[in-house]
Amino acid sequence: MAPFYKYGLFNDEVSLIVAFIIGIGFGFFLERAGFGSARKLVAQFYLTDMAVFKVMFSAIVTAMLGVFYLGWMGILDLSLVYLTPTYLIPQIFGGLLLGAGFVIGGYCPGTSVVAMATGKLDGIVYIMGVIAGVFTFGELYPLIQNFAQSTPMGKITLPQYMNMDYGIVVFIVVVIAIVGFIAASWIEKRVGGATS
Amino acid sequence: MKDNINLKLAIMALALGVLAIFGQPYSGNTVVLNTKELAVIVDNAIDHVTVEDLADWIIQGKRDFRLLDVRDDSQFQEYHIPLAECAPLSILPDYPIDRNEKIILYSDGGIHAAQAWMLLKAKGYRHTYMLLGGLDEWKDTILFPVIPANISPEEEAKYAKLKAVSKFFGGSPQTGEGTVETPEMAPTPMPQVEMPSQTTPVRKKKARKEGC
Repeated sequence: MAPFYKYGLFNDEVSLIVAFIIGIGFGFFLERAGFGSARKLVAQFYLTDMAVFKVMFSAIVTAMLGVFYLGWMGILDLSLVYLTPTYLIPQIFGGLLLGAGFVIGGYCPGTSVVAMATGKLDGIVYIMGVIAGVFTFGELYPLIQNFAQSTPMGKITLPQYMNMDYGIVVFIVVVIAIVGFIAASWIEKRVGGATS
Repeated sequence: MKDNINLKLAIMALALGVLAIFGQPYSGNTVVLNTKELAVIVDNAIDHVTVEDLADWIIQGKRDFRLLDVRDDSQFQEYHIPLAECAPLSILPDYPIDRNEKIILYSDGGIHAAQAWMLLKAKGYRHTYMLLGGLDEWKDTILFPVIPANISPEEEAKYAKLKAVSKFFGGSPQTGEGTVETPEMAPTPMPQVEMPSQTTPVRKKKARKEGC
């Protein structure tokens, strides 16, 4: 039965090793998708290369289908899977902030590590920025605590929020993904070719 | 070629998406029991801990277990074993415990604890135990042990330990002259729990940051 960690198949230390291996795999495939390059990533925002959208959306759909079917088959206990609690307004604000940093710096946190690992100077600078940002956030937290904890919605999922069947939501997301893929390819052709 | 793969993937995703409409990923309240495994556990009597062991662990300061009182709230308030947490049967399925934690369950006798044990076992909690004899046994053996008036010197050490344990938990040893006095009938009031119990959780788990 999964999740393995919650079922006690391995302890804290082993879980870190597992995380390390999965992390290496994650970084490897990000690099292979071309996401170690700021040019490729930023092209997403100029709509000349929709690879980021495509890779991320296929990852979402793959994970969603995997989790759904494992749960349905009784292999994965979904109620034990950790959910990040939702704080709507602060998270929208944080998302916009992250997006702005993404365009300006050329990376998101995961891809900046990939860039650093492949020896890119801008990646190293970006990571230093991330660390400085984390530190600043930590130090300023008492001041922004009220805002950071406003509009709490708890650990909520889309099916719960919309009061819909889980399966219906899965279907809708798949359709959105496929339509999104077709639209992305169309936009790429209109705006400009891929930058790889 | 590339378009071909994309098309195939899209069709596959769509097929899985359509099929998903008829699925339900949450197992809900239904559980599965492995009868053979249960039989082995019960046969080998590895499904319980004795009150003496539990008392020793508490005294020694062992904190590698969670002690759950499955009786209702009012009974819990009246008396509970030190370190116990109030987890009545009704809320037990949703009680925040990890599946790899050592869990010791007790009720007044043993029936409710056994039912709770079954429930947790079925939900995949691996290290679940019952307190043998429950709270009744705890009172008889730990809080109000009956110590005969005339003890032989060999037995002295044993009874001295019993007394010490009883005192530790705020009980009082009963000195019966051969007649076994039922501790429940004894006028001795239930001791007040002085040890940190539910007010200070056994193990304040550091909030584990999961996800990215």
